Amino acid sequence: MSLLRYESQVRPALVDGDKSYHQITEDIVRPIEANPSRLWWIGFIISVLFLGFGIFSIYREVTYGVGQWNLNKTIGWGWDITNFVWWVGIGHAGTLISAILLLFRQGWRTGVNRAAEAMTIFAVMCAGQFPIWHMGRVWMAFFVMPYPNTRGPVWVNFNSPLLWDVFAISTYFTVSLLFWYCGLLPDFATVRDRAKLKWRKYMYGLLAFGWTGSTKHWQRHESLSLVLAGLSTPLVLSVHTIVSFDFATSVVPGWHTTIFPPYFVAGAIFSGFAMVQTLLLVTRKVLKLEDYITIEHIEVMNKVIVLTGSIVGIAYLTELFISWYGQNKYEGWAFFQNRANIFSPYGWSYWLMMGCNVLSPQIFWFRKLRRNILVTFFMSVIVNIGMWFERFVIIVTSVYRDYLPSSWSTYYSPTIYEVGFYMGTFGLFFTCFFLFAKFFPVIAIAEIKHILKRSGENYKEKMDVVEKQETEVFYHEQHSEHH
Amino acid sequence: MANKKYWQSFGELNRSEANKKLSENEFQEDLPFVAEDGRDLGADGTSRRDFLKYLGFSTAAAMAASCETPVNKMIPYLNKPADMVPGISDYYATTYLSGGEAVSIVAKVRDGRPIKIEGNTISTLTKGGTSARVQASVLDLYDSARIRFPMANRHAISYDDLDKRLTAEMSAPVVLLTSTITSPSTLEIIKNFLAKDPANRHVQFDAISYSGMLLANQESYGRKEIPSYQLENAKVIVSLGADFLGTWLNFIELQRGYTAGRKIKQDNPEMSKHFQFESMLSMTGANADERYTHRPSEAGVVATALLGAINGSGAAGVDGKLKAGIEKAAKELAVNKGRAIVVSGSNNKDVQVIVNAINEAIGANGTTVNWSAPLLSYQGIDGDMTALVADMEAGRVGSLLIHGVNPVYEFFDGERFKKALAKVKTTVSFNDRLDETTELCKYVLPAPHFLESWGDAEIKRGYYSMLQPTIYPLFQTRPLQDSLLKWTGATGNYETYFRNFWLTKLGNLDLFNKALQEGVVEPAFASAPATYNGATIAASSAAVAGLKKNSKYEVIIYQKVSIGDGKQGNNPWLQEMPDPITKATWDNYAIVSPQFGKEVLGVDLNDQGQADDYEVFMTKPVIKIKVSGKEVTIPALIIPGTQANTIAIAVGYGRNSGKKEESNQNLGRAIAGVGQNAYPLLSFNGATVNWTAADATVEYLKNEEYKVGQTQTHSTYEGRHEVVKEFTLNEIRQNPQIVREQRNVELSAYGGIEKFEEEGTLYPVYDRPGIKWGMSIDLNSCFGCGACVVACTAENNVPVVGKSEVLRFHEMHWLRIDRYYSAANHNVDDADSIQVIFQPMLCQHCDNAPCENVCPVAATSHSSEGMNMMTYNRCIGTRYCGNNCPFKVRRFNWADYTGADSFPDNQLKEGVGKLDEAVFAMNDDLTRMVLNPDVTVRSRGVIEKCSFCVQRTQEGKLKAKRENRALTDADIKTACQQACAADSIVFGNANNPDSEISRIRRDNSLRVFHSLEQLHVLPNVSYLAKVRNTDAISAHSGEEEHHAPGSAATEATPEHH
Repeated sequence: MSLLRYESQVRPALVDGDKSYHQITEDIVRPIEANPSRLWWIGFIISVLFLGFGIFSIYREVTYGVGQWNLNKTIGWGWDITNFVWWVGIGHAGTLISAILLLFRQGWRTGVNRAAEAMTIFAVMCAGQFPIWHMGRVWMAFFVMPYPNTRGPVWVNFNSPLLWDVFAISTYFTVSLLFWYCGLLPDFATVRDRAKLKWRKYMYGLLAFGWTGSTKHWQRHESLSLVLAGLSTPLVLSVHTIVSFDFATSVVPGWHTTIFPPYFVAGAIFSGFAMVQTLLLVTRKVLKLEDYITIEHIEVMNKVIVLTGSIVGIAYLTELFISWYGQNKYEGWAFFQNRANIFSPYGWSYWLMMGCNVLSPQIFWFRKLRRNILVTFFMSVIVNIGMWFERFVIIVTSVYRDYLPSSWSTYYSPTIYEVGFYMGTFGLFFTCFFLFAKFFPVIAIAEIKHILKRSGENYKEKMDVVEKQETEVFYHEQHSEHH
Repeated sequence: MANKKYWQSFGELNRSEANKKLSENEFQEDLPFVAEDGRDLGADGTSRRDFLKYLGFSTAAAMAASCETPVNKMIPYLNKPADMVPGISDYYATTYLSGGEAVSIVAKVRDGRPIKIEGNTISTLTKGGTSARVQASVLDLYDSARIRFPMANRHAISYDDLDKRLTAEMSAPVVLLTSTITSPSTLEIIKNFLAKDPANRHVQFDAISYSGMLLANQESYGRKEIPSYQLENAKVIVSLGADFLGTWLNFIELQRGYTAGRKIKQDNPEMSKHFQFESMLSMTGANADERYTHRPSEAGVVATALLGAINGSGAAGVDGKLKAGIEKAAKELAVNKGRAIVVSGSNNKDVQVIVNAINEAIGANGTTVNWSAPLLSYQGIDGDMTALVADMEAGRVGSLLIHGVNPVYEFFDGERFKKALAKVKTTVSFNDRLDETTELCKYVLPAPHFLESWGDAEIKRGYYSMLQPTIYPLFQTRPLQDSLLKWTGATGNYETYFRNFWLTKLGNLDLFNKALQEGVVEPAFASAPATYNGATIAASSAAVAGLKKNSKYEVIIYQKVSIGDGKQGNNPWLQEMPDPITKATWDNYAIVSPQFGKEVLGVDLNDQGQADDYEVFMTKPVIKIKVSGKEVTIPALIIPGTQANTIAIAVGYGRNSGKKEESNQNLGRAIAGVGQNAYPLLSFNGATVNWTAADATVEYLKNEEYKVGQTQTHSTYEGRHEVVKEFTLNEIRQNPQIVREQRNVELSAYGGIEKFEEEGTLYPVYDRPGIKWGMSIDLNSCFGCGACVVACTAENNVPVVGKSEVLRFHEMHWLRIDRYYSAANHNVDDADSIQVIFQPMLCQHCDNAPCENVCPVAATSHSSEGMNMMTYNRCIGTRYCGNNCPFKVRRFNWADYTGADSFPDNQLKEGVGKLDEAVFAMNDDLTRMVLNPDVTVRSRGVIEKCSFCVQRTQEGKLKAKRENRALTDADIKTACQQACAADSIVFGNANNPDSEISRIRRDNSLRVFHSLEQLHVLPNVSYLAKVRNTDAISAHSGEEEHHAPGSAATEATPEHH
């Protein structure tokens, strides 16, 4: 153990229990090698059913037109884009955890990064469905690609934020996927090496890309991880910034707001962490990984939630202030009549958003509540409901009553197929997540081993001796250990 | 020269064997299949990778090649008709006919089929103006509910057999029951036909009758006629419940006259003053400068009070605001003697006698009321019809020939007519569909549409309008005149009769041809008075005084602007046209007052929360109204401006065949099941039919609800003066700069009007040379009639979406008319203070269009001529442009409304997004003949919007180019512009200083504004501010000094009301 690896006793352990390297492998690979539990099957089948209904909903929409949804001449976007932004937001925590926290050398990330990254990828997959299928002529969707064509000077419109979305999200997805896969390589090799079944050996062999664990491999792996972390860090900030441009660059009162980029990013991290909480709390329970995803992890993430929730709250208040201060009557109407007026048709949704996103996370100022699993789970769901309504409020309550009172819309509520599409993306997300939980190591084995000797509970205990040692003795022992 | 040959090599020159072989080989060089190591792949066979590559490619190519899009074949003429060029339109002057109503029109005929109606500018009556119903009439030609062959007892029969049977069967007395017939040649034929037996007679029945006027005029002037009303000569117009801009008499001509007084000159702003006294808010009332409401039963009392006030004996029998209003109107009338007019919409003889007296007192006779050319369109006398029914019941009618009327439906006592009809031995109907009356007739002769017919119409005495066929008859139709000629025993058909009739009348063939070409034969207009006899005023005043009732609720029956008497009910364009006032489509309903809403329905429109709830849901309460034993169950719409005790219901709806399931087929798919029939609520007072009823009882059916498809649900503009501007005449006079000052304040942050274009943006400002299309809409003369909306629909193949889609806010109109109410101090209960402003809203063709920069695929772009253009086949339907359009004029094809989609069988009849029968009716092969081939029929999933009729601008430009001259205004008129009888819409090249658009903008530079100008979207549509000849603008009440510079900024705080 080197001096550099020394970690203060003050920091709580990140790996509980008397774990050895082997025990870690056993614990994490067990679900892959064992038959799935009944609970897994039930969850998986329900997910697939949801996915099926989602596919049916899309089939209806593509065959009979967007009229299958309750959008109208005034409200061009409703649940579709609300869900899109919501899913993209959720897809933020994973990369933040894996990339930014890697760069900041936050050891606690190792327990949760794999699942969080998986969540990111699945969430972005879900998000991507909405801008695609919300198109009136989805079979012409390839028009958004700037590819050389025989149509003369027909080119995409680089002025359009929707086109920026196409690039931003596809880049984000590609980099996140690579990053995730890169981290998976050593773990796949572990599964391969332990495999007793021929197909498993073969499949994981393929997935492991011939990983042997040589120093060269490790060295390349580490550098690649750093490079990808460096690449994804700006992406975490840019993706939701660009998504917010869909609104911020428009002329619609309530959309046209310069505060949107930071506000969207904070909101995204907020909802992303909430979703990570929801998923990990279930995963650690079902897969019995309490030793690796500890109460410490949960508390740290709750801190992030209360921080970002408060940032979002400040953003909401700033919006209100600016709309009053700016004295633009249309913006004033959007904020004070369409939203803040609880008696207006959609006033309820604004206050639901306020309650869920700004007020309720404040309970996490209390340590006891931060470390309470049930409260955390409940809150994580509340936050995501609130964040869904944030997007709904931004999109629908802005356009439904904008410039011309003659075009103010009737009440918009979704049809079964609009809801079905949303449910379908839940199906897609959880189908992927269940498959991930069954076939992939849900915790980064290699990375958790990295921190075991520094942050593992049993190793921390051994540190007691070291803590009490005189410097000289310590120095001597350290050197003799290596000789 | 021709044999000169170039060669590349000597081999080619000599045609050597080797060269021949080489040239036959398509791939002269080896294909570049070379492996990485440089070895030729051919040498040791194709590698696995390449094999897979080629396999993949060829599979993909084969699949792509076998994909097929449906092929629609175009078949060229085998023998091209001499005077027809495919793709070039011909125009024929003809006449629109509906009942007695006749309007001179020009039909645009493309490849042998009429596709568009335009007004006939040569007609001195309408001067090219049209109405929504006229515009929509071309669709009636292609109505699939039309009868296709003659029938006896509902079975097909040949005309020969029918003629034989009928001549044998027809027994005297023969009665010919028609709507008013204005055709002189037809009247002659009828006379000859009926001459066989002295007991035979001709009865004219108008569903919307003006008997009261006719009888009153006989009393007052000894002439059973309706004079011409020359509103253009009137400085003061007082209307007592007459909707003369929307439905009353020859309203297109009246619109023309009225407009003359509404066009304002900038240097010397003057306009006519229009008072309206009425019970419900009519479209005409919505345009009035001053409007006062009264109970329906008070119509006569109001007339006598007005007469009294003019005569100096005081306005008796009325009080409060109404009295003040009457006195004010009387004062204005007296001051403007000889330049004033009073009209009344009442069908009561006594009321009209008093109105005649008023007109006499104000010197209207011979100035604004012209007796030289009486209107002949409405000659039916209600009493004649009741007498006929009595005769039928008593068995005194041997044969009844019915043409152009539908008494079972339209007669106030349709049930009685139905029973009486059964007592007539021989019943013959000449009709285009099996309506309620025709289906009960023994013999049915399919009638041609006016676009298939020869004919003439004497609209006013001496003013003729000609008909000529524009298409070969679609079905086995035979005009009434042919049948009558045949049954009279005359030789030849109506075509030759008509020709001879006019050759005799006009003198020679050239004049006849000219008459057909121009469509009208008119004398010079002259004004003449009639001798007045006021002997019966006292009696009439006494009779009228007894009419006033004080019951809780009174009912008034009216006509909707779109549907009228209901004859064109099966017209999806008209059904989908939003009503000017209620903005409702596809229904009739009971219009009730805000007070009624509060007291009976529990909805207080003065309470913002309740008003929000009321407007965001299409579900409306249902009430049951009982009037003298007859009842109707109908949804209620709360309309501000309605007198507190008044309930108004429109006729023209509630059509049903005897067997309900036959309605679709017999009456038409668009009309079946739409609305409730209000005709039974009419009653007969012994002389004329009453259109009002007192003592109505109302029951609110709490457990029932009904959805009314309104296209606009929010009705005030919330003090957003950037959207629409209105001022009083006095304000404009005192401060001619008032509009510009307000604009300057709105744009103050960007350097005011002058510098706004430059300062309002970060980007450079470019020149816009060449053509720059622009449109100007005069809000002062627009009265919201909707003719432009239907014209646009017809011209641009705008889809019909049906009620179920209108309910989902999915209607597709490219041009709509926004209607805003304002009430003094935001109190909607104050009916007299309600002011209405109409604003035609269409794509503003912004030079800095927010829709253009957000489209990811550049499907909407700007032309160098200032048009915002849609490329339908590039559009992928993200709807971002629609969201970002501040004017919300972009329309998305939510479903396959047109059948133009490449997905087969995807038009839903059930479930979410189901399409109504009317949509399918618009998609059958017959109806699709009405489509304009110059305009793409849009498929599902794309956005569409107003194109400034780009097909017309292109055609006009080409025409000018071909004739090698500069483009003029005459080359191009948009469809909306052409339809407008008020000339509110002007379109043209704004870069040409001589064009009408430049002139309008220059001459009215102080009144020009752009809607939402401060957004810097730079619209190419400009509006001229509305000016009201009244004391105060209701919308400005509660705002301090709204027009003072510097105040608009303070208005910016959101208002709570």
